[in-house]
Amino acid sequence: MRSIIVALGVAVLALIGISHAGSPAPEVVATIGGEDVYQLLPVGAIPAIDDPEFVSGADAELQMRAEEPVLGVVIGGEARAYSLWQLDAHEIVNDEIAGSAIAATW
Amino acid sequence: MVYARTLGGRTYTFQVSGRLWRNSLIMVDRETGTSWSQVTGRAIDGQHRGAQLEKLEAIETSWEEWSKAHPETTLLKKGKEVLGSHYQSYFDDPEKMGLFRAQWLAEKMPGKTLVYGASIGPHAVAVTEGALDDEVVVATLGDTPVVLARSRDGGVRAFVARVEGEQLGLDRNPKTGEVRDGGGSAWDLGSGRCISGPHSGLRLESVAVTPVYWFAWSGFYPNTQVIDGSSR
Repeated sequence: MRSIIVALGVAVLALIGISHAGSPAPEVVATIGGEDVYQLLPVGAIPAIDDPEFVSGADAELQMRAEEPVLGVVIGGEARAYSLWQLDAHEIVNDEIAGSAIAATW
Repeated sequence: MVYARTLGGRTYTFQVSGRLWRNSLIMVDRETGTSWSQVTGRAIDGQHRGAQLEKLEAIETSWEEWSKAHPETTLLKKGKEVLGSHYQSYFDDPEKMGLFRAQWLAEKMPGKTLVYGASIGPHAVAVTEGALDDEVVVATLGDTPVVLARSRDGGVRAFVARVEGEQLGLDRNPKTGEVRDGGGSAWDLGSGRCISGPHSGLRLESVAVTPVYWFAWSGFYPNTQVIDGSSR
């Protein structure tokens, strides 16, 4: 489905969207490599998922729409999908697949 | 993007820092407070500064295509019904880039153009959707030939297009979609495996692909090559 427009940048939006909602210019808290670092939200204000739970088969189908965008990964023969609509609100999943500790980020 | 979160035998957990750098998310690990760029996986500040997380092969596609290609897949369970993206208006609006100082290479193409980025060390390429329509794309990153192609599950993957030191000349048959090299071997660019011919059984090394807006990619890789379908 080529029409899916999914791309990194959600994090930017989450932060910018909030910062534009009436607050003053975001605070520059550091400069790295000559470029400013802006603090827009407190650490953890967007909560990463640390204890992920999973479904599969018919249960997964019930939760998903056909056109729903996913981040998909296969490790050690195990396939896992993350709904990007869901990740909008979390941005990071601290996960483990086939014994490998991974971070799925969006 | 998916990263291995193990470094030097130790496992880290990441949080959202609430900070932005180069118009993208900084992740922070709970264990040391080190700041990591989400786009590159490199530690930009803190104890691990300069360290690099391994970026793993991952794709973005639709649930329909993913679940068809991987019927045994597990899915991160949803806590409640989520019926759309909070950010649809952002995706749909070409002007919304949420940018501070959005000067990077903005003239090459619109900032909200979706590109597929791949990099090896400092060498990077950005490939537009149009360039991948029916073809495989080969870019040279440093001295490494890298092939990018859309696979059956809808994702875009990349592999080092080289076997035993020899670059593979890869072409996709427009009718069958099959990808062959000049020596007659057929390759599955979903898995990187050679499925028939002289190279049967070999597997190409994977290169992580980052689907990303141009404004973000060009901020990290200002010298990136661009392969644009409209100019082919």
